[in-house]
Formats: sequence, structure tokens, C-alpha cells
Amino acid sequence: MGVLKDKDKEKVREIFKDIDHQVNVVMFTQEYECPHCEMTRTMLEEVTGLSDMVSLNVYDFVADKDLAERYGVDKIPATVLIGDKDYGVRFYGVPAGYEFSVLVEEIRAIGKRDPAMSKEAITELGKIDKPVHLQVIISPT
Amino acid sequence: MDLPSFTLDTTLLETSQEPDPERIYDLLILGGGPAAMSATVYAARKMLSCALLSKDLGGQIRETSEVENWLGFQNINAKDLADSFAEHVKSFSVPVAIGTHITTVTKQDDDFRVSTDTGTHYVSRTLILATGKRHRSLNVPGEKELVGRGVAYCATCDAPFYRGKKVVVAGGGNSAFTTTMDLLKVEAEVTLVNFIRGWQADEVLQTRIKEGGKATLLDYHQVTKIEGTDRVTGVVVTNRENDQEERIEASGIFIEVGLLPNSDMVKGLVDLNEQGEVIVDCLCRTSVKGLYGAGDVTTVPHKQIVIAAGEGAKAALSAYSYLMDKSLI
Repeated sequence: MGVLKDKDKEKVREIFKDIDHQVNVVMFTQEYECPHCEMTRTMLEEVTGLSDMVSLNVYDFVADKDLAERYGVDKIPATVLIGDKDYGVRFYGVPAGYEFSVLVEEIRAIGKRDPAMSKEAITELGKIDKPVHLQVIISPT
Repeated sequence: MDLPSFTLDTTLLETSQEPDPERIYDLLILGGGPAAMSATVYAARKMLSCALLSKDLGGQIRETSEVENWLGFQNINAKDLADSFAEHVKSFSVPVAIGTHITTVTKQDDDFRVSTDTGTHYVSRTLILATGKRHRSLNVPGEKELVGRGVAYCATCDAPFYRGKKVVVAGGGNSAFTTTMDLLKVEAEVTLVNFIRGWQADEVLQTRIKEGGKATLLDYHQVTKIEGTDRVTGVVVTNRENDQEERIEASGIFIEVGLLPNSDMVKGLVDLNEQGEVIVDCLCRTSVKGLYGAGDVTTVPHKQIVIAAGEGAKAALSAYSYLMDKSLI
């Protein structure tokens, strides 16, 4: 059973058209999947299938513990987006609702190696001189 | 196994068409709520070259959960309604810039120039201002410092975080009462604090809350301070009758004390009333020829979705008439 409607697939396919660098989507789930892990994996399979430049690797949080630790993943479902490097982007839980748009835009931004920000924003962000851990916590509306 | 019933929202994904800064449009529409979207549909159907600039599509509709007074629907999910408006707009392939923060609007010769915070400028022959309203603040100690950490302005967004917790709602109108209902649904303990004497909400909402007996109502009280270091821990209120102060233990406060018009970008250009609303006539005309106003940002009373949509349509038709009269189309 799919999760994306046909018109949404078309929209995502259109957005992924100008991706010109490889993006690897790494997902951590587990052998006996909860509904949210299954939903996330199903969604990612459909999304990554919409572009040759976006690939998906699914790992087991328990069996692939070392890899999970390397990515700093401590809960599942977890989605990690990798471009030419690990930009530290993580989605925990199902990237649904408005977060689905965020996931798609993030894949595109990494795939184009373009943060899609104004020069002023990039300049200001460049002034950050210590590690900052940003967490966005959403409610399921 | 049946998958959970989450929705996947794609309305915020960029459309392939961005407004062109090199082009002079027949009409620019500023805003993303029902007034702006209705204006866009009408303008597109009149074959005007137009573009829409807004920080989001949906406006205040996205801050409520259900709508019960949109003609044709006894009850409709607010997000579904906003999405259907957005889909209608997108069906016309009108360039839409979402995430745009408009800084100023000026008139240069006969054209309008819209400047944004990224330094991009757009030009048009006519313009519709449909930028709606934003939440008013209480301006009390603790409010700014604790936004997002107990201070909230949107129950649809944040009520679930307060399941079973003690919460204060500041306000006495419809928004305050519907916020209270949203919070009671997640079993929060709600204290409603109204600054002026007498509740202003519609009777049907007042009855639901008062007869439910689950919320504490404090009429004629003022919120004077929001306490907490990393998160809200309490709210101090003063009884305006006898000046007695009381501290209410709370994990959060929802501020629903009215709205301010988003008209800063046209201050000094068009006539505004004392509240900052754009003064318009029955054809949505402002004090500047070629510039129209629609929806909650204007002086039109009764800020309702259906009224905003109607005003947006009128504004677009007025802009069309103006362009025709001047033989610009």
C-alpha cells in the first residue's frame, strides 16, 4: 500500500528534476517494525524512487548498532541525509504533515549543494563559532 | 498492517514558477490568505499577468482546526479548506513566491515597486494588499523571553504539548474560547483570563465553555507577568476590581488578545485608520490610485474567511477595471 498520491509523486518528481549531485538517504528501522517505522520506510522508498540521483539504504537499529552510533542515531524511525558529506540533518519520527515538504526540500538542497538561503543569511550563519544543536519538535497536526 | 493515517503536505513545496523581477506585472498580490488567494483566482481568470508574494499560503486559517461557517460545509477541517484554496490558485500557474518577507511598497511614476528582505524588487501597474493580521502581544515581562517555551499563540499548533497540564489562556473573544476548547480536548486544566469586563465571544462558544464547567474563568483580570526561567512555570494576574494579585501555576500561556494589521510596508503610502488598517471603499480602493486592499488588513468589519474571499474577488475586479479604463490591457 503506497503513501504518496499520484499528484504528489508528480510534484516531487518535478522538484527532484534539477538535482545534479547524489543524495543518499539512510534510514534506521528494526526487524519487527512499529507502524511508524513501516510508514517512514514505505514513504522513503517511494520518494527515493522518484529520482535516479537519490538512493535509499535501510539499516536495522539493533543489528547495525555501530553504524547507528556513528550517525548519532539514538531513536527510530530515523532518517539521515548524506550528500558529499554528512551535513548533520536528521529526521526522527515520521516526516509527515508539513515536515514532508521539509524532507523533500532538504533532499533537493543537498542534491544541488545549495542551501537556498540569502547571501545575508549565509554570512550571518558563517559567524557561528561553536557547535549548535538545533532541534525542531513538531506536534502531529 | 494498516499504516498510521498521517497526511503528507506538499502545499509548501515550491512551484516551478517564481515571480520575475525583470517583468512589469499587471497586478501584484501581497498576502497568502483567503483574500489574496481569491484575488489571484479572479485576476488569473481575467487573464491579468499577476504574481503572488507571501510568507505562506493559508494565512490565519492554518491556525484554527475547524471551520463551521464556510458556505456549503457545516464543518470542514481548516487545513483541508486552506489546501483547497491553495490548489485552486496553483491550477492557474500564477507565479508564487512563498517565504517572502515584504519590507516596503512604493509608487514610482505610475507603477508600484515591492521590495523584499532579500533585496529583490518586483514591479506592477496595480497592487492588492491582502496581508492580513498577526497576533498582538501582551507586552508583559517574560513574554518575549519564553516564546516557544510555554508562551504560545496558536492552539492548533501547540495544544497537544499541554496534555494534562495547567494552562492559562489570555483573552475573552472567540479565539480565546476556541483555544480553550482545543486545550480541554487534550485534558489541560485551563484558566481563562479576560482583561476587559464581560466576555466578548459568541454566545454559543461561551455556553459550551461555561456549561462544561471544566475551565476557570477570570473576568476583568490582567496578566501582569509570565514567570519561568527556561520554561513557563506560572502566570501572575491582577484582579482589576480590587487590585489583588494572584499567581496561577501554569506550564503555558496562550495569548489570544487580538490581532494587528500587517500594514507596515504601506505606512506613509496609503491612508490607515487608528488601528493601522488600510482604509478602503466598497470597491476596495485605497487612497492611492491603482492600489487596492482586501481582507483583514483593511477597515472592512467582520474579519471572516467568506468576507475576505469576497473582498479579494472585488479587489481583483476593481484592478481589472482600472487597467481597462487606462487602456493598459
